Amino acid sequence: MGLLSRMSVVVKAKMNKIVDDAENPNETLDYAYEKQLESLKKVRENITKMVTAKRMLMSQADKAKKDIVAIDARARKAMELGREDLARMALQHKQTSLLQLEGLDSQIYDMELEQEKLTQMQQRLQAKVSTFKTKKEVIKAQYSAAQAQVRIGSALSGLSEEMGDISLAIERAEGKTEKLKAKAGAIDELAEAGVLDDFSDRSDPIGRELAQLTAAANVEDELAALRSSLPTTEKKALGDGE
Amino acid sequence: MIVRIMTEGQYDLPGAFIDELNHIDNDLVEVVADENEAEFATLLKKMLDLVRENSTPVPIDELVESDLVLPEPDITLLEAEEVFVGEGLVPG
Repeated sequence: MGLLSRMSVVVKAKMNKIVDDAENPNETLDYAYEKQLESLKKVRENITKMVTAKRMLMSQADKAKKDIVAIDARARKAMELGREDLARMALQHKQTSLLQLEGLDSQIYDMELEQEKLTQMQQRLQAKVSTFKTKKEVIKAQYSAAQAQVRIGSALSGLSEEMGDISLAIERAEGKTEKLKAKAGAIDELAEAGVLDDFSDRSDPIGRELAQLTAAANVEDELAALRSSLPTTEKKALGDGE
Repeated sequence: MIVRIMTEGQYDLPGAFIDELNHIDNDLVEVVADENEAEFATLLKKMLDLVRENSTPVPIDELVESDLVLPEPDITLLEAEEVFVGEGLVPG
């Protein structure tokens, strides 16, 4: 069986549950409508959850930005006092914070995409649920219960399919949010410990080593920049000390 | 023929495209078996674009069942594998 047929099976497995739960035709209509409203509510709740998770990441990013500013000030101060060793340590820490910030920014971007997708799906489901509501009242008024069952059948399948699709999307989004949260927590801990090489998410050893070399080069560049920005007397003092 | 792209919506695609879709589908099965990530992404995009470019979108307030369901555009190879073994995506 190809991916196409498997996908249909997956969605239909989701949707049949919604339809099969009720037997009496008129009850089916009302029951289905209630289910749809529940489903819509769930989607909204999930979007809210995602927004909350995104805010958490954003506040972490803000903190990282502030850290970076503070570290810069510390490094400069250390240089002014002639403590290049302390300045170097601070700047190494800054590289960690920069990596953390980069990771957070890309996660925030991912969350935004996910949120956008769910919002669009929610709008689609909302439109379909409204159509279903109108249709169900018309059919209930015009047809006997048995006829209504037939009339509503395809509309109900169409709607159930939409709900199957969206509930699968929510499951995926929830999984992603959980993973992101776990990752954000881990990054926080590592950043606090100032561990640069452990959290860079590079699985290949070459990329990892390059990242470390880049970070080390950045530190030296910034040190050099700090050095040249100091007033000449202090520079001289530093030069004497070497 | 009504085709759903998961998370994206439904499209009304002329039936003539079914052979081409099936063809890509067969290739997809192979690349999933080979765990060829790059080729998987290329083929999936080819399949979805075929639908997007040759169909008219079903209005969002229309209630109709799909004849075919295609995976979401951002499905990963790993997730596709799960679909094949029937795990993960359909709990309980």
